[in-house]
Amino acid sequence: MSPALAVPRWGWLLASFVRREVLSRYAGSITGLAWTFLHPLAQLAVFGFVFSHIFRVGVPAGYPGVGYTAFVAVVLWPWIMFSEGLQRAMGAVAANAGLIRKVAFPHRLLVFSAILGTCAVQLVGYVAVLVALRVAGEPIHLASLPVALVLLVPYMLLATGIGAFLAALQTLLRDVEHVVQVVLQVLFYATPILYPATLVPESMRRIVADNPLGWISERLREVLFHGSGLAAGDALITLFCVAVFLAGLWFFERLSPHFEDFL
Amino acid sequence: MSAVDAPAESLIALRGVTKDYPKISTSGDRMRTLAALLFRSRELPHFRALDAVDLEVRRGESLGIVGENGAGKSTLLKIIAGVVRPTRGEVAVRGRVGALLELGSGFHPEYTGRENIYLSSALMGLSRREAHAKVGAIVEFADIGAQIDEPIKHYSSGMVVRLGFAVATTLDPELLITDEVLAVGDESFQKKCIAWLEAYLARGGTLLLCSHSMFHVQTLCRRALWIHHGAVRMAGSSFDVAREYLTYHQEKTHAGEPRERGGGLYPNIVSGWTEDGQGRPTATFRRGETIVVQGLAYEPDDRPPVLLFGIVRADGTPVYGSHSNEGDYEPARTGPRAFSFAVRFDAVALLPGKYRLRLHTLDGLRLFDTFETDFVVTGETRDYGVVELPHAWMPGHGRMP
Repeated sequence: MSPALAVPRWGWLLASFVRREVLSRYAGSITGLAWTFLHPLAQLAVFGFVFSHIFRVGVPAGYPGVGYTAFVAVVLWPWIMFSEGLQRAMGAVAANAGLIRKVAFPHRLLVFSAILGTCAVQLVGYVAVLVALRVAGEPIHLASLPVALVLLVPYMLLATGIGAFLAALQTLLRDVEHVVQVVLQVLFYATPILYPATLVPESMRRIVADNPLGWISERLREVLFHGSGLAAGDALITLFCVAVFLAGLWFFERLSPHFEDFL
Repeated sequence: MSAVDAPAESLIALRGVTKDYPKISTSGDRMRTLAALLFRSRELPHFRALDAVDLEVRRGESLGIVGENGAGKSTLLKIIAGVVRPTRGEVAVRGRVGALLELGSGFHPEYTGRENIYLSSALMGLSRREAHAKVGAIVEFADIGAQIDEPIKHYSSGMVVRLGFAVATTLDPELLITDEVLAVGDESFQKKCIAWLEAYLARGGTLLLCSHSMFHVQTLCRRALWIHHGAVRMAGSSFDVAREYLTYHQEKTHAGEPRERGGGLYPNIVSGWTEDGQGRPTATFRRGETIVVQGLAYEPDDRPPVLLFGIVRADGTPVYGSHSNEGDYEPARTGPRAFSFAVRFDAVALLPGKYRLRLHTLDGLRLFDTFETDFVVTGETRDYGVVELPHAWMPGHGRMP
């Protein structure tokens, strides 16, 4: 612990950072707020059109009465939250270089606030879209929403762990950012978001469905369309995500005292 | 970081503090540095910013830190503030620390002044309630009017400075660390800051002041530390350190100025020096002692030259000057084209500090030559300015004119 941290009341600082994280998206731009919600909607519209009307990907038989758009939407928002949170967390150290060079505070708060700020913004959009789909007649179990939110906790812990690891790495190595862009692109298509896991060839299905991203995506559909509760497998996945979170944070904390040398 | 067993009232204790910054030019360097940091080996190309610095500051002390740009002052302050972790050595800092490493750091340009006050106080570890209680006082001290509710990006740099100082000081830290804070801001705000710092010290506050202004170091600090190339070059009373530091700078600036004295076509000063009242050459005088200036001059036409002396403070501020024509003084001829002269100052009223004596040969208003020699007036004072004017405090008569 660095000496100036004698007053460990950082709760409110975290809250201030999150507030700043959320507001900074809109400060100086009138369309900022609208854009945050329009971007995923536009993506959804494009995917809905291309995959259901051109490639004619169908919704599997296990989800009767579910439209393709709704099928994608319940998983697309969490994915956007994951990838955006991860990228913001990764850039949090560089974006606050001025602060890190001049003020003593726990740097991990920057990573946490990047994730929490993203959650705050995207969850509003997620819930709004779920309600809108329900109103439009999609068979969404709004009563199971709390279960879905619980499933998002390990999802975002994973994003935090990886984000913290990459933030530290990025500070020292610089060019991590570009690699991550590509990897995220690959992960997006490797995760059953636009298609059901059942469409994946048998030989690859386990890899696609049993990693945390695939598992949580599939589970979100089960919970929101079937109204099912938590499963034993969720605990295992959560354990894995917590492990990644702790490992990422360990790496971050190990290098955090040296950030100032490189900024 | 291990704690150092320091005496109870010691707020800062540094032992052998060394800071190396990695030298990084290639991406290979970056990979090696990353590996070294993860596995805690130290064998890397580095630049040593601080080298085995020891320092102790007790509660209620005020310490000035002086040194050239790049000497390591800021690194030292950052280590004490907890922003930088030293490569080697022990750091123990107690008490509530307020650090002004750069005014306006931690401010968000898109936020209003008021919102930034909340963010800064959160960065200093305050709770929401504490910040709420203090925000009024901060706004009042900063004194930037209605613009407190405008985004910071519309502020002048002076206004950002005001706000930063107001935030740091209103939180009333036990230890205040400031890096070149007084250099920015207008005259009246500087005075306000100095008045605040004096009151802060008077009620037992502890101050670390990093400044290029020897005036500020001498007025605000009792002790001073001179950092030179990452190491402590001198530590002692702020007056002694400031004097030596200025001497160093003068020698650096005036190194290599060859001049042919005692010859040539124009009158010049051959030499000049200071003596005490008993005729012993010295350059150090106690406050109130007698100073005698002795000099030798050359005049190519063998006529008594006109002389001018001037005393300036080490920073160049003129104190007093006079020329020999004023009193129809004629230097004594000591040989062909050679003359001697002397000037006596009884019970000199100069305040302690470093001074420079300038001797010139003069023709009408034209200066032919300048000879410089330095002297020091020692002693301690809380008076301000350059000279002591005879005065007496007395009851006022209370009637407006």
